[in-house]
Amino acid sequence: MSAVTTAAPGAPVVDLDLAELRRDPYPAYAELRRTAPLAWVPSVGRHLLTRYEDIVHAEKLPEVFSSREEGSLLLRTVGPNLLREDDPEHRRLRAAAEPPTRPRQVRDLWAETFEHNAHELLDRIAGRGEADLIGDFAEPLAAANLAVVLGLRNAGADDISDWSRAMMAANGNYADDPDIWLRAEQATRDIEDAVAEMADAARREPDGSVISSMVHAADPVELTEIQNNIKVIIGGGVNEPRDVFGVGAQALLQRPDVLDRVVADPGLWKRVFEETARWISPIGMYPRQLTQDYEIAGVALPAGSRVALVIASGNRDESVFERADEFDIDRPHRPHLAFGGGPHFCMGAWVARHEVSALAWPLVFSRLKVLRLVEGADDLMEGWVFRGLTSLNVTWQTS
Amino acid sequence: MPIVIFELPDGTQRKVTADSGTVLMQAAVSNGVDGIVAECGGNASCATCHVYVDERHGEQVGPPNDVEDEMLDFTAAERRPTSRLSCQVQVSDALDGLVVHIPEEQV
Repeated sequence: MSAVTTAAPGAPVVDLDLAELRRDPYPAYAELRRTAPLAWVPSVGRHLLTRYEDIVHAEKLPEVFSSREEGSLLLRTVGPNLLREDDPEHRRLRAAAEPPTRPRQVRDLWAETFEHNAHELLDRIAGRGEADLIGDFAEPLAAANLAVVLGLRNAGADDISDWSRAMMAANGNYADDPDIWLRAEQATRDIEDAVAEMADAARREPDGSVISSMVHAADPVELTEIQNNIKVIIGGGVNEPRDVFGVGAQALLQRPDVLDRVVADPGLWKRVFEETARWISPIGMYPRQLTQDYEIAGVALPAGSRVALVIASGNRDESVFERADEFDIDRPHRPHLAFGGGPHFCMGAWVARHEVSALAWPLVFSRLKVLRLVEGADDLMEGWVFRGLTSLNVTWQTS
Repeated sequence: MPIVIFELPDGTQRKVTADSGTVLMQAAVSNGVDGIVAECGGNASCATCHVYVDERHGEQVGPPNDVEDEMLDFTAAERRPTSRLSCQVQVSDALDGLVVHIPEEQV
């Protein structure tokens, strides 16, 4: 089914400025939910679907809301991959890649190294009394941990981080900046080389990593498929734990009463994690393409229509979450959409939960005493396809 | 078609008709039974469709498979000997009258 790159007849057309969305998309989403829950947005070239119930509905119909989107930026960046496939092809690749990310594997195989990595980064900054917790801690931690889970022993945390940035920029390159494409091409070539080398090693000696799991999959996977899927995981695997760490840490530092409660009752870290992911979702939206005519949110969409499921908006839907714009770890529990739903439910969810809520936050807040935000620091929250803090400047007592 | 009964944490019961050959989670979701979240849509990736099989029916339903067994260690509510992921329980005529209990939390 060819992609239809125009508004569906009858769909409201809403102009949204990409720079404004990048700065803060939430006011625009609130307006869309109220007045045009399915709207064609020319600057994005898609219909934005913004209400919780409609998004959940679409997620549960992958045979209608297909992941195979033509002209997808992600396809251009990394080539065919499991995020842009439907079952059964998606299931074959996911089954090959998933075992090392399941919760028991995270606990038994990776948790100790994750903890070691976190301590090592904190050792480096502990004596300084000040740091940017994104650049000095969360990002290198996410990158180092990801290298371990993927089995990229031939890459450093800096390599992973650079590759991830280059590909994420390309994947959100709606403005079609040629420099962004060039950087992404270089990054993907580097990843292909690194993956090929480690796939060879894993063929000789399995090590429990994602590359190893894919090399030894019961349903065979080609090297190109391993390379493309590792690229996708590198793209998301750094920014999502990094961003949820940063946003949650800042939220707690701005709410000392909540922080005190969480430090006194570590069982609450899990709630902080889920509420942070709901409040500022690290991934804000993902695209789908209709396989058939289908009516949703009062609009009859023709087959081929391009739709963006705006999960960041669904997570702020007032009909589901009271005072949805507030960060509140005590809110009545309703499932958030930050990990997506259906067959594409985030494969890294268990890794991220452990890495951030069981290790990174508790270690940072226990090791760095009297942690404070730096007043006047320009710690910006940015992005709408992906959203997080660009920095998080803090101080603490060193004696 | 078999009837299965979902008992909510407050003790109220929802009787639903389930199609043989589908899974228990599907019967819950398509009938809007509260407390079965099923984030991953039945792929045993999320552990949010956790149920406790009523002890009378434990043997009939059987034990969890390997992947399910792993996920059950990480459910939001405590794991019990009768815990199953409802997305991995195949509905059949033999399960007519099955009672499952929904835990307090799923995420």
